[in-house]
Amino acid sequence: PSKARDTAWERVRSGPAPLTDVAKLCVCDLLVAQCDVNCCCDPDCSAADFSLFTTCSVPIVTGDSHLCSQKAAIYSLDTDANPPERVFELVDHVNPSVFCIHATNYEQALSFSSPEIPTAENFDELLKKFGSATFRAEPDSWSMNSDVPDPSDANETYRYEYGVPIQTVDAFLRLPSPVVSSWCSDANPAGFLVHQATKCVRSISVENCGNIQAVSMLFYINSSILAVNISVQSIVVQSLNGMRTLLNSSSVLRHPMIVDELCINIVLGVSYHITYTDTGEIIEAAASFVLGAVNKEALTIQQSFEINFTQVNTNPVPFSGNPGYVVGLAVRAGFKPQGYPFPIALLLSALNTNKYGQLTILQSTANQDCLTAQESRTPVLFGYNMISGCKLRITAAMNCQPLAQVLLDLLMGQSFPEYVASFGNSQAQDVLDWVPITHLHTSEQRISNTFQSSCQIPVALEIEVKWTKYGSLVNPQARIVNVTATTTTTTLKQLPLGRERTIPITTSVVFTDISSPAEPGYKAWPTINAKLPHDFFFPFV
Amino acid sequence: LLPLETLNNSYQLSSIPLQLLFYINQFYYIFYFVVTLTMIVYKSHVFSYPDQFLALDLTLLCIMATLEVLRLYLGSRGNLAEDEGPLGLSLAIMIGSIVLSVYFLVWQTYVLKVDVIINSVLLLMYGLESVLQVLTIAAVVG
Repeated sequence: PSKARDTAWERVRSGPAPLTDVAKLCVCDLLVAQCDVNCCCDPDCSAADFSLFTTCSVPIVTGDSHLCSQKAAIYSLDTDANPPERVFELVDHVNPSVFCIHATNYEQALSFSSPEIPTAENFDELLKKFGSATFRAEPDSWSMNSDVPDPSDANETYRYEYGVPIQTVDAFLRLPSPVVSSWCSDANPAGFLVHQATKCVRSISVENCGNIQAVSMLFYINSSILAVNISVQSIVVQSLNGMRTLLNSSSVLRHPMIVDELCINIVLGVSYHITYTDTGEIIEAAASFVLGAVNKEALTIQQSFEINFTQVNTNPVPFSGNPGYVVGLAVRAGFKPQGYPFPIALLLSALNTNKYGQLTILQSTANQDCLTAQESRTPVLFGYNMISGCKLRITAAMNCQPLAQVLLDLLMGQSFPEYVASFGNSQAQDVLDWVPITHLHTSEQRISNTFQSSCQIPVALEIEVKWTKYGSLVNPQARIVNVTATTTTTTLKQLPLGRERTIPITTSVVFTDISSPAEPGYKAWPTINAKLPHDFFFPFV
Repeated sequence: LLPLETLNNSYQLSSIPLQLLFYINQFYYIFYFVVTLTMIVYKSHVFSYPDQFLALDLTLLCIMATLEVLRLYLGSRGNLAEDEGPLGLSLAIMIGSIVLSVYFLVWQTYVLKVDVIINSVLLLMYGLESVLQVLTIAAVVG
């Protein structure tokens, strides 16, 4: 009994046995338990049905015509009889050709193989064989050399490409975002290297603020990105009137709680910082939270979410273009540390002109007095010619040398860079991608009397940035070729007591396009390639 | 026993029909080899012929050709020199040839009608040759 059950189970698992009896095969029998029209082989048809047919849609059913002798079922309608009746004959069909198959010792030769029914045991193997877009017609046992598995598949779970959703343990890392209206939808996956910043609205009420998952910190750190846990980087608490305070200890998870008719520790904003390596693996993930409070009257809150990506061992200096500069983004600049033949990445970015490694110039203020100016500087944006300045009021009591130093600091800033990045995405470790700033000095007036060693004070700084179009004609990239900083000085004439003079101090930035025009190129003349075949003189050579 | 002819007062033990059969056999075998090879190529194009079966059939055909050449040479030489050694060796090799011919008749991957015809003729020839060879060996030895 168990053996019969096993064989029955085997039959079920391998599918029904193929039908090879030509007398029972009928291709036109499509309707079950009903007679198909003009189908002479349909077993559901009675003699009365046959008498109504006009032709037989399937006149003959045979096996493989290559065989030397095979059975054939021939169906025809005898229209002479009244009523017409169907004639069924089972004959031996002989193939007269001398190349007919007399016998075959290979079972799969003449019939389609029945496919394997997937079960729990063979599912993985079948998926591996047939799960991709294409697969070989012959089974793997036939081929001598099977395909070498792609070595990159081994680490595929950990390597990301641009735009691929970041996988977490159960699903994807979600960044709530507004979909059709401004209501938050939790289904937006975060793509790798895709910088996103979204704002959306969520409905909330004080009574059940503890039950809504999406306003609790746990919801956003709960899912770990495939072996990397999301850590809490910082927590900022925003009070009801909008004042934000940075918390000292950010390791404690704060859950929404109801205190004095207010619901506090509600998540108002999350900012994810993902660190990745250059092979596409995510090694670190951190989230910064903004927690706030809602009172009884509030029905909705606005949440803002952001995600950004930093490559490991680099500082998060934003690119100004990839690779060419984009008009409107800041020009990147930096220093080369003394004594090093090539810049070291961390040092270079640490000593930059401003925190973000940008070239900056003096910013004009409403109060145009240079000496009381608040040291505010604005970054130089690529492609935007800028001019700024202030007015210097000179009194008789001023000393030249300290004044010159103050003005120089004002014009150049605390640390004027030495190098400017030639491409928007230049890395600090590629020295050749950085262009040195050339300094020139001119004097406003010709020094007429050389006897007086009068001191010169800088009054103008002009930065000229020469850039060119680089790359293909279809998609040219802007590349900075030359940066010249020209300082203009003038003589400070001693003023008589009580008199004041005002001189303008200006800074300007000019971008000049020095790209050479495209040269036309013509196709080469066609040449006649006439060569005798190498074995033309066959018997002799 | 075949009537022994006398020539210069000595009996000729070589069998003329056997020599005739060897002569016809070598030409027929060339024809057989070409036809079988062509049929294997045809089968591999028209039907699905997996690589290992194809390799097996081709190898056996080459072995059969080698055996046939050896057999015909030894048999012909033994018959003409009236030497029972080569004749006996040739008979032994014929067993291998018969097995291979039966393989191509019955156990090949695809047996076409033309395969059946030429293998049957070959087996018939082998049968006749074996009988004549046995008789010649008996005459030479005895």
